[in-house]
Amino acid sequence: MSGRKLEPFTVFSIIGVGLAVLCCAIPFWMIISGSFTSESELATTGYSLFPDFDFTAYEMIFTGPAVLDAYLASVFITVVGSALSLAVTSGLSWVIARRVPGISRPLTVFSYLPMLFSGGLVPLYLLVTQYLHLQNSYFSVILPLLVMPFLVFVQVSAFRQLPESIFESAKIDGAGELRMFFTIALPLSKPILAVVGLFYAVHYWNDWFMALLFIDDVHKFPLPLVLQNLISNISFTQMLPQLAETATPVYQLRLALTTVAIGPILLAYPFAQRYFVKGITLGATKG
Amino acid sequence: MSTLKTRHESRTSPPSGPPARERRTRGKVTGRTSWSVGLLALPAVGFFLVFNYLPMAGLVVAFKEFDVNLGIFGSPWNGLANFAYFLESGDAARILFNTLFLNVLFLGATLAAGILLAIMLNEIRGTFFKRASQSVVFFPYFVSPVVISIILQVLLAGASGGGGAVNDAMAGFGLPTVDWYTEPGPWPWILTVVKVWQLGGYLSVIFLAAITGIPEEVYEAGMIDGASRAQMAWRITLPLLKPTGAVLLVLGVGRIFYGDFGTIYAIIGDNGTLFENTDVIDTYVFRALRQLGDFGTTAAIGLFQSVVGFILVVIAVLIQRKYSKETSIL
Amino acid sequence: MSNPTMSRRGLLAAGGGLSVAALLAACSSQPKAAGNQAGGALALSLLLPGDVPAGWDAVLAEVNKKLQADLGFTIKPQFIPWTSYGQQALLKFTAGEKFDTALQARWLNMTQLAASGSIVELSSLLSSGKYPNLTATIDPKIIELNRWSGKLYGVPQINSVARFHHFSIRQDLADKYGMSDITDFAGLEKFWYDVKQKNKDITPIGLNSRLPKLLVAWNPVGWLNPYMWDNPTMSLASFTGESLNFVLAADGKQTGSSHPIPFWEAPGMMDALRLVRKYYQDGLFNKNALTLDSKALDSQFKAGRVATAWAMTDGLSSAALPELTKNVPGAMIANVMPLKGGANAKPYQTFQSDNFVVLNAKGQSNGKAMQLQDWASIKENHDLLNYGIPGKDWNPVGDDKYEKVSTYTFPGFALAWRAKLERRIKEMTESEAKWFDWAQDIDNFTVDPYASFVPDPEPVKRENAQVTAAMTQFANPLFIGAVDVDQGLDKLKKALDRAGLAKLQAEMAKQADAYLKGQ
Repeated sequence: MSGRKLEPFTVFSIIGVGLAVLCCAIPFWMIISGSFTSESELATTGYSLFPDFDFTAYEMIFTGPAVLDAYLASVFITVVGSALSLAVTSGLSWVIARRVPGISRPLTVFSYLPMLFSGGLVPLYLLVTQYLHLQNSYFSVILPLLVMPFLVFVQVSAFRQLPESIFESAKIDGAGELRMFFTIALPLSKPILAVVGLFYAVHYWNDWFMALLFIDDVHKFPLPLVLQNLISNISFTQMLPQLAETATPVYQLRLALTTVAIGPILLAYPFAQRYFVKGITLGATKG
Repeated sequence: MSTLKTRHESRTSPPSGPPARERRTRGKVTGRTSWSVGLLALPAVGFFLVFNYLPMAGLVVAFKEFDVNLGIFGSPWNGLANFAYFLESGDAARILFNTLFLNVLFLGATLAAGILLAIMLNEIRGTFFKRASQSVVFFPYFVSPVVISIILQVLLAGASGGGGAVNDAMAGFGLPTVDWYTEPGPWPWILTVVKVWQLGGYLSVIFLAAITGIPEEVYEAGMIDGASRAQMAWRITLPLLKPTGAVLLVLGVGRIFYGDFGTIYAIIGDNGTLFENTDVIDTYVFRALRQLGDFGTTAAIGLFQSVVGFILVVIAVLIQRKYSKETSIL
Repeated sequence: MSNPTMSRRGLLAAGGGLSVAALLAACSSQPKAAGNQAGGALALSLLLPGDVPAGWDAVLAEVNKKLQADLGFTIKPQFIPWTSYGQQALLKFTAGEKFDTALQARWLNMTQLAASGSIVELSSLLSSGKYPNLTATIDPKIIELNRWSGKLYGVPQINSVARFHHFSIRQDLADKYGMSDITDFAGLEKFWYDVKQKNKDITPIGLNSRLPKLLVAWNPVGWLNPYMWDNPTMSLASFTGESLNFVLAADGKQTGSSHPIPFWEAPGMMDALRLVRKYYQDGLFNKNALTLDSKALDSQFKAGRVATAWAMTDGLSSAALPELTKNVPGAMIANVMPLKGGANAKPYQTFQSDNFVVLNAKGQSNGKAMQLQDWASIKENHDLLNYGIPGKDWNPVGDDKYEKVSTYTFPGFALAWRAKLERRIKEMTESEAKWFDWAQDIDNFTVDPYASFVPDPEPVKRENAQVTAAMTQFANPLFIGAVDVDQGLDKLKKALDRAGLAKLQAEMAKQADAYLKGQ
């Protein structure tokens, strides 16, 4: 297989991917490089391809209140949240994917409607603060985001791609539905579990809005909320008084914040990538 | 080389079922087992009930004259007045058109980009380059809209508000320069490029996972038939990505009346010269209501977007079931 | 591939168990925590905008120590990012939360909250005589002018008596071009064209996305409207900050008729529109004016890329100087107020405060919230809140100036701005000091005949929302000169007519006439 000559399509693909990589890598580099470039330089040119090792913005971020606390909070929310979400989503997706008469179809509609209809901010706020009393608990960030209908359907479609013959034979072997789920479906679905888990992780890692709504203790802010505070702290209206600030590096700070937020996810990505290997062959099931 | 290795690995660990035993039931799931399988969905059902369906009671505010002090349920009814506000405004037709047009562009372009990128990435075999490029194309998803807006301004206007990298390049080719930030024409396309940049890599991950689910034997059979890589991508990979693509498409259709507020507002903001081609329902509503804080009207417009989206989804699902039953989500 | 299947199943089971346990724990434990609070010492809860100041923990500890000793309660401020502040504050009012004070303003939701009775009317509290420090630091005339139809809905937070926007220019450049002292609009215009010709890399006038509406028809004067700088005696009013400005009749008090007209019908407005169009075409503005955010523009000014910045009589334009001189050695800033007649012009002024501290009607204790306002009116406390810990965050320079030594920045306008107590930054230039002093004296101004007229948008809510949307779309491009004046104005008028301009104008006339009658 490896000895074959390169086919035109492969060459085309390499060039295509190469271009896509360039389109993403150059801005990426501009952000990282810019985050190490002095503010006056950035304000003049707007970008920088060669950093001049100016750490002002990072000093500001890491000496600010509670950035380390914020990292820990975010890690907790992301890890616990993704694990819960993945477990709950997998269960639901399996039931939908199995096309159980009288259950799967209503369940599909039931799971899809929340993607379209929402009661809005006020009822959710009242629910979480006045009925569940979750203020300042990290579960106030995790629970409202627990299941994303979008990812449910991604997972359903992956479950449905598993060859029916495996389950037929497992059933003949006397396996129950639960058993098939845990011992066959899940192990065979590693790539999609990795993807869905990754997407949930990304989702939790990026979320600042729930935290903004429900967490008011500064020391419990997750990272994205801290960053959002800094990045969006531009006067919303001119009527708002300017404050006597000591030179805040605006451009540099925004780029540095982006870098700080992206870092951990980029580290997590290769970890998930590990599972993107062929996990199934027809031959194995026929045997 | 690596293909061989992965195949070898998976062969060695087949899913091991329990020893064969006689059972009468076969084929469709029976009543008893279906009840037990339903248990798996219970946590999710509970979640939806509490965090989604319960708060939906708040939708009544769309039909009320909202008063801060009286709250959602205490405020007086006002019929359809909240809906009239948007639909009767002279801009409704243009904004609805923009919303539809931009979202169709975004949806089509990002899905196509995701599929193309996934297929091309799949062609590159187990090298460092493949892994690194996957990470790199995924990264734009994490760039906050504020930063995207900064990058765009550098490209289109330059830091000092005159020139910009794109204009410099165009001047280099002898083309006339453009005042991008006061010229509405190109913006639907600029925004589409931004969306593709943002989501192409993200979506490709989903398709890549679907591609890994395709049994290697299918490709081997193709190879024996003497198919080229391009033919196999076209005839084997692409059709097998159809179910996933169809699901994403249907899900996208349901949200087609929602603008992508975060990105569009960060980039366009209050730049009125560009609204002609870029103003969508969400940005319009935000702009008109930010100083009134009227939850009633906001809810009414949200409900309108949902209902229209719902109708479109029902139509999409019906079409799907008629022409391509196996990809239907229902 | 080495992980056995069992462990994965275990993991999932554990995950499920965890979720149930977590739910139960979360549901059962929280009410207790909520109960604790009510029983213990009182901590006033405050809503503040912006990010948490650097070194906040230390300042808060010090504030609470003093507060506990002086008044027997503490504060628990909550910082909300700017971009979400309006929505979040409104949400908390709607949910009936028991926080005590918040920043509110007409540009937030103050009129709506006042109308629904969500915020406390302060007249009786303020006149009770229990808050002597507060009443001593706010001019009674200011209080009077900030009553809406006779009612006071918040404590005005101001650091200068009058607010008058003007220009902060690069004096070193002006010197270079031989213009040592610019005092009028013509001088400014010459300066801008000189900059354009002689310094290709410097934008003559820096505009950010929040400025367009201030350029032509604005109260007290349009920033780039020479007619208004010469005749700063026009009364303007709008239902909400981003909506259409009407010009009200100057002789309304005599005739009893306010006769509001849309801004373009007033004298000087068309000329100003044509002027900004010329400036735009001559390249005096940055091309991305409608998109650039204010902080980014500040940063460019500090980098020496912009020759003129928007300035307010808040004594803060000179704050850019240290950073600017670092980047451009020898740079100087001067504040220019191109009023005809200079400091003796006696322009109109409404004295309307841009920011108020309001008391939540459902707060824990309105009396204690007022005590806090009173406490913050004592110089030592005021300084602690606004500038941080002496010696660590700032050093006093004389009695009325200070030197910043840390990056501590507190949103004082949301809690503790008192015009009489504000310290000036050490770097304040002579020209800025001159205009800052000028703005502190109420007698340098003429009280606008419509000074405390605050229109209520409620009866024309929908029309106003649509007019607001049309203004952003069609008027802002006109105000920065990005479109042809005649065509642009034509489009604007059509859009406003569709949106309900006539109804808005009639309602404005009705309310303004009623106001005149009540005077």
